Amino acid sequence: MSDALSEKLGHYLAPKFDVDHVAITDLARIPGGASRETYRFRAAYTKDGTPITRALILRRDPPASLIDTDRTTEFRAYHAFFALGLPVPEPIALELSEAVLERPFFIMEEITDCQVGSILVPDPYGALRQSIGEQLFECLGRIAAADPDKIGLGDLEGARENCWRFEVDRWEREIIEDEREPQVIAHAAIRWLKKNPPPPPQKISVVHGDYRSGNFLYDSKGNIRAILDWEMAHLGDPLEDLAWALDPLWAHGNPAFPAGTIARDEAIARWQAASGLTVDAAAFAWWEMFASLKGLAIWISAAREYCDGRNTDPVNAFSGWYCQVFHNRLLAERLSALES
Amino acid sequence: MKPDIDTILNLSAAEIMSTLAPVLPTGYAQGTASIISMLMMFSAQEHERGADIRHTENQNMRVLFAKLAADVSDAGLRTKIEIAAKTKDETFGISALNAANYELKRLLIALQIYFESENNESSQNARREIWKILKAGADARVLSIPASA
Repeated sequence: MSDALSEKLGHYLAPKFDVDHVAITDLARIPGGASRETYRFRAAYTKDGTPITRALILRRDPPASLIDTDRTTEFRAYHAFFALGLPVPEPIALELSEAVLERPFFIMEEITDCQVGSILVPDPYGALRQSIGEQLFECLGRIAAADPDKIGLGDLEGARENCWRFEVDRWEREIIEDEREPQVIAHAAIRWLKKNPPPPPQKISVVHGDYRSGNFLYDSKGNIRAILDWEMAHLGDPLEDLAWALDPLWAHGNPAFPAGTIARDEAIARWQAASGLTVDAAAFAWWEMFASLKGLAIWISAAREYCDGRNTDPVNAFSGWYCQVFHNRLLAERLSALES
Repeated sequence: MKPDIDTILNLSAAEIMSTLAPVLPTGYAQGTASIISMLMMFSAQEHERGADIRHTENQNMRVLFAKLAADVSDAGLRTKIEIAAKTKDETFGISALNAANYELKRLLIALQIYFESENNESSQNARREIWKILKAGADARVLSIPASA
């Protein structure tokens, strides 16, 4: 399998690098979420007499995808924000044909000598938490500040008018399609979100869609080197990303320090300074409720993929169980408090 | 004496993490072994409490339906919840308890929507009662991640 994949990759990349032969070595699958199969590999070739070895990442569609995410969107987002100077891997090639590697894929630079903070450990960043937190929320602010039209992402999915409703409808469809049991709390949340719409956004931005602890790489000095997993990028209210990043699921057990990094107030202040936007309390409360509903929808879909046998990666069982229970409980707390 | 199910699951999970995972290739294989191990520990938690959670929640919904029926003016909905209030969990297999749970929850959604459309004190009390059950069920299902994970 790996040998065959290596050979096909080598054939594919040779013309991309404008050389006759590319040798693929060290191909190995690495964790990278359930919505893409992720592999790291080395591509070695000689160009103009100079031997070159590049560390690359292959992100290939799985046989079934958790959420129907668009690899074109992910690739274009990497392209746009790499050009803008944000820490993202350099995108190398996008292939939509199934003829090359059986399923669509893209290839990007591997950011080496870095690690990811596991969401399952209480303090993944240790002494680096302050530095990482500052960068994390400043980067998110820079994403919010970018003009989607100017960076070539003005046509991403999403609504410029009533973006809140577009998002609620989208995730409601996912829940209805994938629920295996009556999702009482999710449907109550949907009704509340529809009855209590947020104020209009200050601006329409590119929303990363899954900006959180565990979706960035950092080095041993505490530098964020890559913001990853742009597959759910879309246009919308930038508060959507901030609320998702601050969701208690990603807080490593302490919601006062979102993403296991800096204090919540400081995170918001850093985001405001970098984005030039302000956080309206009422609007943000709505987007926080939405974040938990969106999470629940994703976990319900994960459970469906797993139970139907379309994608039996155990990470889907984990998300469909642990994460679903987490967000059900969080929404029950928040919604029941509104009735008190 | 034979080992209990939760003992088997917990010790097997520990064996995977301490003995098997370290000899697997780093990256996806080790990460997947770790997740499988955690799922086994969750299963151990659920084995002990799963039937109790479902049966308790089913009973709580039936009691609530009986209590709220008089406040429901929609005759069709009232009849349904009155009938549901009189049902019982005949067996304690998880699949049977789940089937009953799902039927009762479908009615709970209808009841919740009904009381959300009314804006008076008794409706507000009914909504609070519904949330009490939902919150208790959500709390009971919380999974703890072992410190060794």
